[in-house]
Amino acid sequence: MNATDPIRRSTDVHRLLDEAFAGVELTPEVQDLKEEIRDNLLFRVAELEASGIEPSDAARRAMAELGDVRAIVDDGAVAPVPVRAESASAAALRNRVRPKPGFVVRTVLLSIVAVVTLALLVLGLIGVMPLGTGTLFGLGAAFGVALGIVTADALRQETTANHPLPTRRAVAFGAATGVLLAGLSFTAVVVVRLELGWLILTGLLVVAAIAELSYLGATQTNRHKPWVVEQQRATTFSNRFDEDPASAARFGIYTAAIWTVAFVLGIVLGFTVGWLWAPVALVGGFVAMLITLARMLFGEARRKS
Amino acid sequence: MIQDNADEAFTADLLRGHTDTIVLGVLRRGDSYGFEIYKSIREATGGAYEIKEATLYASYRRLVRDGLAEAYWGDESQGGRRKYYRITDAGRAAFRTNVATWVATRGIIDDLLGTAVPASTKGNRA
Repeated sequence: MNATDPIRRSTDVHRLLDEAFAGVELTPEVQDLKEEIRDNLLFRVAELEASGIEPSDAARRAMAELGDVRAIVDDGAVAPVPVRAESASAAALRNRVRPKPGFVVRTVLLSIVAVVTLALLVLGLIGVMPLGTGTLFGLGAAFGVALGIVTADALRQETTANHPLPTRRAVAFGAATGVLLAGLSFTAVVVVRLELGWLILTGLLVVAAIAELSYLGATQTNRHKPWVVEQQRATTFSNRFDEDPASAARFGIYTAAIWTVAFVLGIVLGFTVGWLWAPVALVGGFVAMLITLARMLFGEARRKS
Repeated sequence: MIQDNADEAFTADLLRGHTDTIVLGVLRRGDSYGFEIYKSIREATGGAYEIKEATLYASYRRLVRDGLAEAYWGDESQGGRRKYYRITDAGRAAFRTNVATWVATRGIIDDLLGTAVPASTKGNRA
């Protein structure tokens, strides 16, 4: 629709916008804001022109309506980060939400039900208890339903860090979890008791549940409370390997060297001392790699501060 | 627009305090971009009140910063990039809380000013 929009060709808006942003430092964030404002201005100008205002007047009027660009930029860009951020534990305590007693009781009871059904299911499957195949399917279903309800219920609760999930999404999460767990239990029952052809059906259940869970995961939006978002922003640890790709490359070379030495040492140990001792070299190599990783990833940052 | 300036400023001040909630209310109906949000607010008030665009930009930034909305660039790209906003689950929860708070506040102020409409507003008080 932009292509047919005559105003997209108008240069007035772009010129006025550039003038308004003259002298403002174009950080990526400000650049984004400018593009966003540009798009909205073009709409407003088109609207004004449609109501019969001259193109150049329309552009000026839209700019005037916008107000002071500098005020918008300053308002957000200088996002006043508190010099000394509140500690995570203090913030959590201040925003503490007590769990509802009813929810706790429900969760405990349903968890007990789930554990009991799972135990009975396992005992039935390994033949310790004489349970019919139908009973085993029933236990699998009960296991899925119980934990499905626990999941949905938990997601519906407001917690210290999170807002509750909308009911529809919480129920969908719970249903998918329940179907997944029931499907896995059914799979076990089929493997032990029935013809393997039935695995197609239980497999379908499991795949459907996984598909639903991936959909829900992909469409999930933030549910953290603002104070948590604030905390996360304040405590983003710098990752040395992201900041300094050269050290990541060096770590790769060190790792290759460590493992080569470890393998050679393992073979030497095997031939000389005995093969029982060969894995010691590999364990040593693993430990050396982890220590190198820790030193390279976090060592520098500690020295700096 | 028929009010005189002082009245208008008073209304604008009161409304400005609720900009974030108003924007969340628009986003609750679906993802939207700046001008569309501006327009639906203007249309919802029948043109009687226009939130200044600068106020809206500030509101978008606050909402994104607090995790109540998330922004993403649309892929329509002839003239420019279009920035869309989507309400998050946290945003939905905040909207519900803010509406409940407003209804309670409105009830109290109505009682204090003696402007309560007997049947409807009293019933809404939380």
